[in-house]
Amino acid sequence: MKNIALITSASVLALSLATSGYASQTDPVRNISSYALSKDAAGYIPDYNAHPVVTNYAALVLATYEQTLADAKDLQTAIKALLENPSQDSLNAARNAWINARTSYLQTEAFRFYEGPIDFVDEKTKEEGPEGHLNAWPLNEGFIDYTKGNPKGGLINDPSIPLTAASIRSQDQVEDEADVTTGYHAIEFLLWGQDMNPTSAGTRPVSDFIAGKGNNDRRRLYLTTVTEMVIEDLNFLVKAWAADDPDNYATKFIAMEDKEALGRILTSLATLSEFELANERIATGIDSGDQEDEQSCFSDNTLNDVIFDQRGIRNVYFGGYGDVAGAGLDTLVASLAPNLNNKMIAALNKTDGAISQLNYPYDSILASAADDPARAEAELVIQALQAQSDVIKEIGKLLGVMVVVPTGG
Amino acid sequence: MKYVAWASMPILLFLSFVACAGEMSPQAFVPVGDSPGGDTTQHTRGRNSFSLPAANINRHDLRVFFFGNKLFNTNWVIAPASVKKLDGLGPIFNRVSCSGCHLRDGRGQPPEKYGDELLSMLIRLSVPGRNEDGGPKPHPAYGDQLNDRAIPDVPAEGKVLIETTEIPGQFEDGTPYSLAAPSYHFSDLAFGPLGSDVMISPRVAPAVIGLGLLEAIRNEDLKALADPDDADADGISGRINHVWDQAKKSVEIGRFGWKSNVASLMHQDAAAANGDMGLTSTLFPVENCPSVQTACRAAPTGTGVQLSDKFLKKLTLYAQTLAVPARRHADEADVLAGEKLFSAIGCGGCHIPTFVTGKHPDLDILSNQTIHPFTDLLLHDMGDGLADGRPDFEATGTEWRTAPLWGIGLVESVNNHTRFLHDGRARSIEEAVLWHGGEAKAAKEKYRALDKPERQQLLAFLNSL
Repeated sequence: MKNIALITSASVLALSLATSGYASQTDPVRNISSYALSKDAAGYIPDYNAHPVVTNYAALVLATYEQTLADAKDLQTAIKALLENPSQDSLNAARNAWINARTSYLQTEAFRFYEGPIDFVDEKTKEEGPEGHLNAWPLNEGFIDYTKGNPKGGLINDPSIPLTAASIRSQDQVEDEADVTTGYHAIEFLLWGQDMNPTSAGTRPVSDFIAGKGNNDRRRLYLTTVTEMVIEDLNFLVKAWAADDPDNYATKFIAMEDKEALGRILTSLATLSEFELANERIATGIDSGDQEDEQSCFSDNTLNDVIFDQRGIRNVYFGGYGDVAGAGLDTLVASLAPNLNNKMIAALNKTDGAISQLNYPYDSILASAADDPARAEAELVIQALQAQSDVIKEIGKLLGVMVVVPTGG
Repeated sequence: MKYVAWASMPILLFLSFVACAGEMSPQAFVPVGDSPGGDTTQHTRGRNSFSLPAANINRHDLRVFFFGNKLFNTNWVIAPASVKKLDGLGPIFNRVSCSGCHLRDGRGQPPEKYGDELLSMLIRLSVPGRNEDGGPKPHPAYGDQLNDRAIPDVPAEGKVLIETTEIPGQFEDGTPYSLAAPSYHFSDLAFGPLGSDVMISPRVAPAVIGLGLLEAIRNEDLKALADPDDADADGISGRINHVWDQAKKSVEIGRFGWKSNVASLMHQDAAAANGDMGLTSTLFPVENCPSVQTACRAAPTGTGVQLSDKFLKKLTLYAQTLAVPARRHADEADVLAGEKLFSAIGCGGCHIPTFVTGKHPDLDILSNQTIHPFTDLLLHDMGDGLADGRPDFEATGTEWRTAPLWGIGLVESVNNHTRFLHDGRARSIEEAVLWHGGEAKAAKEKYRALDKPERQQLLAFLNSL
């Protein structure tokens, strides 16, 4: 059984190399043996069948992106309603739709960091996955629209610049990494405006959306256009993870040597946990003491960013999202080392517990004094995420796969 | 170049014996492999290739790295502002953040068309003579660099206009090429003409990768490579620049800057913060306002230094630990053939492939690493075509530091351009090669004499770095 499976996957692999859809599969940097190790440093060769876990993972990724797309379409509908009939109610409805759309998108962050569809790199065309277009942050809001003290600022208030998808994308992060023009956070800023208050979100007036006034038509067009761009990017991701086409990434992912796929899955979880969430997002904001140094600063939704990123990690570990409920990593790890599975579950729970203790809104933590207990609580989240990453690396050792976190820690 | 005491030789010998098991001569070609930064190397590519921390960084330093990254990307604002820790911009400046010039920790470029403002390069200025530290004597009215921006109610110093002239040339096989020679003009000068004795040096922002490793190269290794009088008569001299270091308060061996005019990264960071963004620090406590610039001198600066020691240390760690990306395609036949040619035609005479770092004063992860920066950090006469005519400490007006080559193949992915050399005049890696003159003329002529497949092999190698 095992031999047959190996031969099958090897032949599909050869096919995928020939068609070379995603550069990440054929490139020496992320080549097909980047994550798969036949044995660990001690010479131990684990024997297990992870194929059901890999297949279930691909189904879970697809289901999560499908939900993300559906939620983004709901957001688009709410934005259309806002623009057709601008009122505080329709603005609130659009804001709620954005917050809802974030909950599913954030759970897809657990699929980053291995040059899959979300962040692939094609060396020849220089094309890259849509992550930077969907979720770039921090965002220099003054580049998009007016800000306090600069009422004529931003692309929206510069009629010399046409507002098409192409022109908005061509302006993205050209001179400054923070000159982000697209994605969820651009939409967020357009719906909420700047947040100047540690106890509430931004309070953009609904009058900003009334047609025909000032540069409102350009703001309306901008919002419509960047929302459509998010949907296009999500459509691409759904298609890439649909396993019904041999050219799709999902087909190739399932056909990889199981250890190669497992290495990618674990690398994503550990990198999101430790590198992205603990350090780049939480620790940096805590250390700067800058109130708006948070990912979703306009909507004050940053706590949800943390909660649902962590939910995404849980989903992958337990193999469940929506209707997908097949074999998870937990089953595999438990079959080989029950104690390690218990350790991972304890680490996940500890992180969840620490997150549940965080103050709300998140920027009140950043604005708090150096000795405020809110900071100590945030430190506990950082430590829990680091500990969680360490257990993920241990699981990598158990399974004999590489967990390539871009840190030595 | 002096080969008798070539510090890296024993390592190469050792590697070649191991790799070839004695079947080949000790001088046999040994490829450098795919990890130019040793254990710090990051396997990455694409737009963020220059933005990752050293792969072997520890958990504590990783957190400092991320904060340093934040500082690097911070747009500084005018003092006094609500966020006190991040104010103090100007009064005169070039850009409002480090990343403004070093976008994605990468490399700057000249404006795309005539008249466009400078976004990631600047013009150094001086008049004949030296300042009290032995460095260039600043222009009396404009200081030591042209600040083309200023806070409201303070005049910016002026604008830079770059004209280019095409210079035709051809390879020995008859294939033509053209090089663009820049000339520099100034407009809107707020404090009168620059004068006939002004010396100018245009400089683009270099990529920020691997700098801590360069800082950890032993002085003895650089001294061993130097051959100021060309004692071995190979046509390549190689001189150390001795420069004032404001962090150590002493004269040290220069390693950074286009003329090896800076010795340490702490000095480099503080000097750039002061000169390019107008931020004071304990190293450079005075705003860069020459005496004739009364509005600049009168502008509010807030209290105390603007870039605190704590922030400067974090920023320095960041610059020290930005990782060198792994090479791509290092073991492909064309790339290996190109690597062999690189050495055979003499590029490796200055672009020294291999060092083993000494003990880094602050960071053990950078110590004792086998690295492949392809530089000797020394000054070489690069000929009249590239000369800026502006001495910098002991560097003459025709000398430049050998630029490190690691990462050059990823500049296009990171920064969406392929502009090279100190002023970004080269529009491709090949044009950069063709601009080489002076001590590098012999190697350049050998490149011109290669046939097309060989030239492509050499470029494939350079692009793999």
